[in-house]
Amino acid sequence: MRGKVAIIGYAQSYHQGNMPMTREDMVFEVAKGAAEMAGITREDLDTVINASNDYLDGRTISELFLVMPMGAYLRDYTKVEMDGAFAMFYGMLKILSGTHDIALIVANTQGSTFNPHQISTYMLDPTFDRQIGVLNDVSMAAIQARMYMNKYSVSEDEVAIVSLKNLGNAAKNPHAHRRMPGITIEEVLNSKLLYDPIRELTMSPISDGACAVVLATEKKARELSDNPVWIEGVGSSQDSYIRNRNLYHLEGLEKAAKRAYQMADIKNQFAELDLAEVSERYAYEELMIYEALGFCEKGKGGTLIDSCATFKDGQLPVNPSGGALSADPITATGLIRVVEAVMQIRGEAGACQLPGVWRALAHGQTGVCAQSNIVYILGGEY
Amino acid sequence: MAKKERKETIAVDGIWPVGSYSYKAPELYKELLEGFKQKRIIGSLCTGCGMVYVPPRNICGRCWRKIDTRASVSDVGTVRTFTISPEMKRGRTKILGVDPVEAGWLKEGERLIMVYVNFDGTNSNYTTILMNSKPEDVHIGMRVRAVWKEQPEGKLSDLVGVEPIK
Amino acid sequence: MWRNVAVIGVGQTKHGIRREVNVAEMIGEAAWKAIEDAELAPEEIDAIAIGNMQGFGGICQAELWSGDWFGAPGKPLLRIATGGTTGGSVAQCAIYQVASGMFDVALAIGFEKHSDSKEPGATMGLAHVGLANFFHLLACGLDFKTSLAWGGGVGAAAGVSGYQAANYMHRSGCKIEHLDMVAAKSRSNAAKNEYAHLQWPNCTVDYIANHPRFGEIVAYPLRLGHICPASDGASAIIVAAEERARSAERPAWVRGLASCADEENQMAENAQGVAVTDSSEQIQCKIAATKAYSMAGIKNPREEIDVAEIYQPFPHQELIYSERLQLFDDGKAWIPLEEGETQIDGRLPIDPSGGVLSTNAIGSSAMQRVAECALQIMGKAGQHQVPKDVKNAVAHGWGGSTNFTVVTILGDTPRLRR
Repeated sequence: MRGKVAIIGYAQSYHQGNMPMTREDMVFEVAKGAAEMAGITREDLDTVINASNDYLDGRTISELFLVMPMGAYLRDYTKVEMDGAFAMFYGMLKILSGTHDIALIVANTQGSTFNPHQISTYMLDPTFDRQIGVLNDVSMAAIQARMYMNKYSVSEDEVAIVSLKNLGNAAKNPHAHRRMPGITIEEVLNSKLLYDPIRELTMSPISDGACAVVLATEKKARELSDNPVWIEGVGSSQDSYIRNRNLYHLEGLEKAAKRAYQMADIKNQFAELDLAEVSERYAYEELMIYEALGFCEKGKGGTLIDSCATFKDGQLPVNPSGGALSADPITATGLIRVVEAVMQIRGEAGACQLPGVWRALAHGQTGVCAQSNIVYILGGEY
Repeated sequence: MAKKERKETIAVDGIWPVGSYSYKAPELYKELLEGFKQKRIIGSLCTGCGMVYVPPRNICGRCWRKIDTRASVSDVGTVRTFTISPEMKRGRTKILGVDPVEAGWLKEGERLIMVYVNFDGTNSNYTTILMNSKPEDVHIGMRVRAVWKEQPEGKLSDLVGVEPIK
Repeated sequence: MWRNVAVIGVGQTKHGIRREVNVAEMIGEAAWKAIEDAELAPEEIDAIAIGNMQGFGGICQAELWSGDWFGAPGKPLLRIATGGTTGGSVAQCAIYQVASGMFDVALAIGFEKHSDSKEPGATMGLAHVGLANFFHLLACGLDFKTSLAWGGGVGAAAGVSGYQAANYMHRSGCKIEHLDMVAAKSRSNAAKNEYAHLQWPNCTVDYIANHPRFGEIVAYPLRLGHICPASDGASAIIVAAEERARSAERPAWVRGLASCADEENQMAENAQGVAVTDSSEQIQCKIAATKAYSMAGIKNPREEIDVAEIYQPFPHQELIYSERLQLFDDGKAWIPLEEGETQIDGRLPIDPSGGVLSTNAIGSSAMQRVAECALQIMGKAGQHQVPKDVKNAVAHGWGGSTNFTVVTILGDTPRLRR
């Protein structure tokens, strides 16, 4: 890379099902919160990038009325209409170009505005898939889950353990929407069946939430922060549409991860990563994510979760914050994973804090069945 | 330019009745409407930069802070810009599927004069209708006064429009 | 430190009502034309930037479904959407993708398929921008007449622009005749552009002003003939880092770029008030232009800029923005217009492509401004190539409720000299 980029400030909302706040106020709070932590004023913002979606917000040009609360008045400004983790990538590109020193990234969605699962039908091929009338992101997830579980003999129990782990972890996360301390596997397996085998507790909740980070050049980071978190590697890839790719594996994520690992010079995930925050919209997805990230061989995701290696006290904890299963404000979800990883590295993760975290992986996704993915390797100061 | 022979693709019609949106609004507007009931206009004043916003706004983007001061606003102001509709005719246009002349919302031959009014002492434009004036007479800089409903109900329609000050 | 970036290929589809292709095929058309123009193999593309206003075509994130048509699988892709400036923002994204040093060759595509939707086109369809605000106003008891006023009589973009035109005409010497002149020039120029939508060869002021249909005033001061069409179309550019760009015959180098957002015009979220009283002031365009020119090392734009592609879905905007881009004095752009300076063979041609007034596929429109400037520098603009040496060109876009601006400056030499 042509230089180093650091995260020097962050903020996230208290994600919930129906926030008693307009999206304007929600965005204002996280944007200001991140800037305050970074120790910067509005005038320091060289560029502001929003991640929100017109369809989800019910407003064409969804960011139009968010310019002012985001602090973007008379500033360089744009919107990435994908998961917020991709917006952060654009911020990184602008900083590496040498034209901007400080970037504010703000991601927001209020799922209570419109059911995002219904919006997912708009993502489908309009000439054929949509006409069938049965596909949406949940039924597609069910199809993929069934394919994966069948091919690799993964049981529903193994899938349910992911929910057990993540919703249990979330119990200690004050920002999480769905916190279920003492959750049992029976509760997960008996939760409302949506599209077999997807159940309410093996699917992310519909959340209102927002999140913001401040990026800076190395020079500015050292001036402003005692505790910068460096972006050591990043990789992203868009895969083919659902019908044109192999659904047994998350190949796009695998490509993205390889690019990130190469950039950060990671050769042994278990040895070199202290934790991973991934965007698992569905419990089965986390097992597939393990495989794509190279945490285990193809088809061995179930075995990995059984080994407890990805639990909080395991060798490579995944989603100590609770992950997307605990809060999924769609366009903010991936950026929240970045923030949770940053909090762990800086030692600011409160009750969720794990010991000795220096390097973490964060993942964001966009599109049905995780079609487009981005992976970051984040590292603290020595 | 000659019209090319066009081949049509197969048309795939679609209406997807996916449901309705649920937006959120701040409680701020209630204050405006309570003021309207008393034939008063309320604005919000940012103590950082001194901007007075009408209708009231709860965040000042210039200062990047919340606005919690209110100001009572004059109901006399200046026309900052305007546009004039063509003559409304039955069958000319439909708005939200309804013919406005047919429905009695507008009169045949009526021309709507729509204006942005900058009420004195504010930094905003308020969008409304200019009444009791001919289209030829409206001009930027025209001084106007608010026209209130006889019996205001605490609705936006209490402020019927503005009229020129003689 | 800046990394020199240039546009090395341009591709456009014919813009108009395209019922013989679906949106994926249309995007593919533009992308492949750009790839061929750049003489690249598709594998050489390292990253993609793409964008449109997804509400118009009824597909959420259309690039996910249609990715296979433009070689997306396996590539890093960013989707950008910023209202009218979308195409320009997408172009800038591709530029930053390469300028960052992370990628060497990037493909940028802007597209829109208005005819897939039954909504009456870009101008009125933009009512969705403020629809939530309208629902709030209606819930607060807004009466019908005043709701028409909020929409300027015809609906969001046209309405907001109508008010803006009245403001501009009040403080400058601009009259309705000048709007007719801009419209006539645009439609005539479009007739020389094989990809444009409304092509009216040799269009005169008289035709615009006195036509029984087009001459009618829809919302004072705008006539029907002053309003842009709603087009289907896609346009694409390929940008490359210096090492790769040098192998192109005549690359169009990126000299400067900037974007800027002002406070919303007319209303904020839920119809709260805004402190903007003159929507023709366009302060954010002043700021973006100053930044971009400074980056480009251009001190005297009116002498140094050879051609300008200005985003003007309504004619008065050509005048306002040419002033804000420092090409003419404040309030005086109507004078060079009258004197023929901005004609295709004039001293400073504006919108030789026909501009947005003739072709408006929203996601593509601001991209076309960048693409057209590149074509002019490369000498590939065919019949609408300006008959003069083009060293520097400025591409502009506006969006939102006229509060977003993007400015991109291209030139025949790189920004950083070695």
